[in-house]
Amino acid sequence: MASSQQAVAVKDAAPRLRVEQASFAYSATDRSAPAFSLGPISFEAHRREMVSILGPNASGKSTLLRLIAGVLRPLSGRIEVDGAEVTALEMRLRAQRIALVSQESELLFPLRVWEYVLQGRYPYGRRLRFESSDDCVLAGNALAQVGADPLRDRWMDQISGGEKQRVILARAMAQQPSLLLLDEPTQHLDIGGKLELLRRLRRLADENRYTVIVVTHELNLAAEFSDRIVLMHRGKCLRVGAPAEVYERGLIEEVFEAPVEVEIRPSGRPRVVLRG
Amino acid sequence: MRPLTPKRIIGSCAILCAVLFVAVVFSLRTGAYPISIRDIVLTLFHGIIGRRDQVPSEFWSVVFTIRLPRIALAILVGAALSTAGAGFQALLRNPLADPYVLGVSSGAALGAILSLIFAPHTVGAIQVAAFIGAGLTIAAVYFLGRRGGQLDSATLLLAGIVAASFLSAIIMFLMTTITGHELRGMAFWLMGDLSAPPPASNVLGWFGFLFLAFFIAAGAIYSTSSDLNLILTGEQEARHLGVNVNRVKLVVYVAASVLTGLAVSVSGAIGYVGLLVPHVMRMLFGSDYRMLIPASAIGGAVAIVFADMLARTIVAPTELPVGAMTAVAGAPVFIYLMRRRVR
Amino acid sequence: MFRRSVLALIAASAALLLGAAARASASLPARGAASTRVLTDEVGRRVTIRGKVRRIVTLSPDLTETIYALGLQNELVGDTDYCDTPPAAKLKPHVGSAREPNLEAVIALHPDLVLASGTINWLQTVEALTRAGLAVYTAYPRTVDGMLTSFEHIADAAGAAPRGVALEANLRKRLAAVHSALAGSPAARVLFVEWESPLMTIGRNTFIADALRRAGAESVIESRQNWPDISIEEALRLQPDYIIFPADSGESSAHRLAELRAQSGWDALDAVKLGRVEVVSQQIERPSVGLVDVIEKLAHDLHPGAFAEHASAAGCEGNGGACAL
Repeated sequence: MASSQQAVAVKDAAPRLRVEQASFAYSATDRSAPAFSLGPISFEAHRREMVSILGPNASGKSTLLRLIAGVLRPLSGRIEVDGAEVTALEMRLRAQRIALVSQESELLFPLRVWEYVLQGRYPYGRRLRFESSDDCVLAGNALAQVGADPLRDRWMDQISGGEKQRVILARAMAQQPSLLLLDEPTQHLDIGGKLELLRRLRRLADENRYTVIVVTHELNLAAEFSDRIVLMHRGKCLRVGAPAEVYERGLIEEVFEAPVEVEIRPSGRPRVVLRG
Repeated sequence: MRPLTPKRIIGSCAILCAVLFVAVVFSLRTGAYPISIRDIVLTLFHGIIGRRDQVPSEFWSVVFTIRLPRIALAILVGAALSTAGAGFQALLRNPLADPYVLGVSSGAALGAILSLIFAPHTVGAIQVAAFIGAGLTIAAVYFLGRRGGQLDSATLLLAGIVAASFLSAIIMFLMTTITGHELRGMAFWLMGDLSAPPPASNVLGWFGFLFLAFFIAAGAIYSTSSDLNLILTGEQEARHLGVNVNRVKLVVYVAASVLTGLAVSVSGAIGYVGLLVPHVMRMLFGSDYRMLIPASAIGGAVAIVFADMLARTIVAPTELPVGAMTAVAGAPVFIYLMRRRVR
Repeated sequence: MFRRSVLALIAASAALLLGAAARASASLPARGAASTRVLTDEVGRRVTIRGKVRRIVTLSPDLTETIYALGLQNELVGDTDYCDTPPAAKLKPHVGSAREPNLEAVIALHPDLVLASGTINWLQTVEALTRAGLAVYTAYPRTVDGMLTSFEHIADAAGAAPRGVALEANLRKRLAAVHSALAGSPAARVLFVEWESPLMTIGRNTFIADALRRAGAESVIESRQNWPDISIEEALRLQPDYIIFPADSGESSAHRLAELRAQSGWDALDAVKLGRVEVVSQQIERPSVGLVDVIEKLAHDLHPGAFAEHASAAGCEGNGGACAL
């Protein structure tokens, strides 16, 4: 028993995502973006881990996420997923490893929920492809895992915002990715919705052995649900580690420019409250 | 969950082809020359087996030089415009896009005008000049419609509108300063007309060329139909799923413009077809482009064959331009579709 | 497998149909041993006429008028909806409008010769009818002189050359009479108003300009364009001696004059003040036999003095009547 657990532990120990000295800069001549530089940043993430990239606005969190997604090419350094450099992968291969979960879905023409989720199978097979029964099974499983199975025959424009978010997540899961990336997914949700989403992500990370990377500025939710935090401030990564390690009062105050108190709760996870 | 399969696509297309066959039969029967269905069939039969001498020369003339070429042209133009329309609606992310919104028909019309001024009695000059005009417009709008080196839907739309207005202004200028009998034919280009005989004496070669061009361009669009399905849920999302969005946009732009240029060069600007047929096919078969492209092609062929038949019978013996029929029939259909969307 | 056989079936049927259509473009079998003539028409196309011409179809009103003038109306089996000169032409079977004649209707009349006008009919129509195996002669006169020659050619195509020669000779005689009567009189300066608003007149290369010159008139507008739009101010600057309008049905000069006097701008023209407004028959716009009538009448109206000594010789009067030979 112990040895197989050890074997599992060893396997899980090899990092799924490795960011090595990655840096980026928007060029000074590109007037649509502020002159801004990022990095160099290094950290690792493992299977079944949920990592939060945390920081205030304009700290470079979204840029880092796009570097990880392979949308942007780092100026220096490497980003690897399962040992392969992200920008070197062909687009469809990359989509088989990395799934970016978007916020909205601007549909032009009516589409059913199951059709939408089935589109997640695009990276597999030929360009002009027809879905196989395996594809349907995988899409169905994804829907079931997010609890959206009863919605499968509904039209996308007829479901609620929260239901739509689950469906979008299901499509990303249908890609069978190693890495699941989300950019501020809790933005438009109320506190109940936020908790539900993060609990779900946590569970899926465990069940499907995903590595989940979430960009957020919500201090306490990140502390509650993440295994590791990457703390960003003005394009620099100030600290990487477990929430309790990263949430140092002085550090938080410097980054978020607000007077705070940091408490450690019985679970071992920190909580941040405003002081005074 | 019943995903689209090739078998379902072929089945639906077979049904549409049956409808097309009926339309063709009706259209073959239509015409001022008195000839019975039996005689038409016999003429066709003898033509196919190569026994032209068995057929009275007038029957031959009516069936093979007037009716059949016209029907073939109607099928080609209807299929080309509807396929192009479906492609443009995806490319421009706009359900109101029709094949002429990017100015291709104005470019073709200008080419036609110039050929009428400089070579009014050269057979075939008008089609060649129109196609060249269309091609130059396609290239110009492409270069204007880029943003950061890639085709951007909004910029493309603006570039097309600007091109169309500019070309129309030139056309107006030419029409007022060089008026005369040379420009009698302009109503043709603005309304669309299928009565022009094939400009080449080798009818087989002419239609063979046209249909080959159609299948190449339509095939190119069809090869991107999975990609288009994804792009229609969001360009960035499609990229993240591995779609080469820039390449797909370029392919669809060129292929759909070529289809439009082809259709306008041989029949003028027949309106409403490229806009409405894809929408009607969506209502019948859904928005999946793997089904929509072939459905639009065949559906468009049916629409134009029927419209042409009506154009020839409503005020017989005078013939209306087919574009008049599509406009008259198209407007109510358009209004109906608009109301459905609002609801 | 199923998909492939369906595709194969579609490809085979398409190939068969296209192959049959291709054979349609092969040359026609010879119709008969009777005389076959090959002419070149006035737009440069070769026209092959087989046998005797017994059935003629005309595709424009001026050609219909010419057929009647040549006395060939019994051979006329079809004309357009707009052929109304002479009135008898209205009773002939119609093939549609001149711009868009119904091709099958033309074929259904089994014509031996189809007459087309280069100024009205399209090249495409002529092409399509030729493809269908018909003999189509296109007339394209651009001057009055060309028109007279055209009459002879048309008669020749119809196998009635002597009539054409005679008609042409008679018309030339009449025009010569007008010419000699006008010798010595300066040409009247006129403004020909094709359309009132926008004010459209004629260029110097048009048929109408040529006809006006024959009638002793010269357009005050010098333009290379065929139908130039001008402003009323230009007319005021030039102050033409006469203003000429082509007639709507049955309108009289007095009526048009009264209308113009009531309009600002027009009422400042000398010609309007002096009542020098002429309404002529629309036949001035067409290369037809009635054009000679119009020229004669206009010449009389513009130069009454020149004709006082010359009594009108021919028996043609009014507009639209067939000229007796």
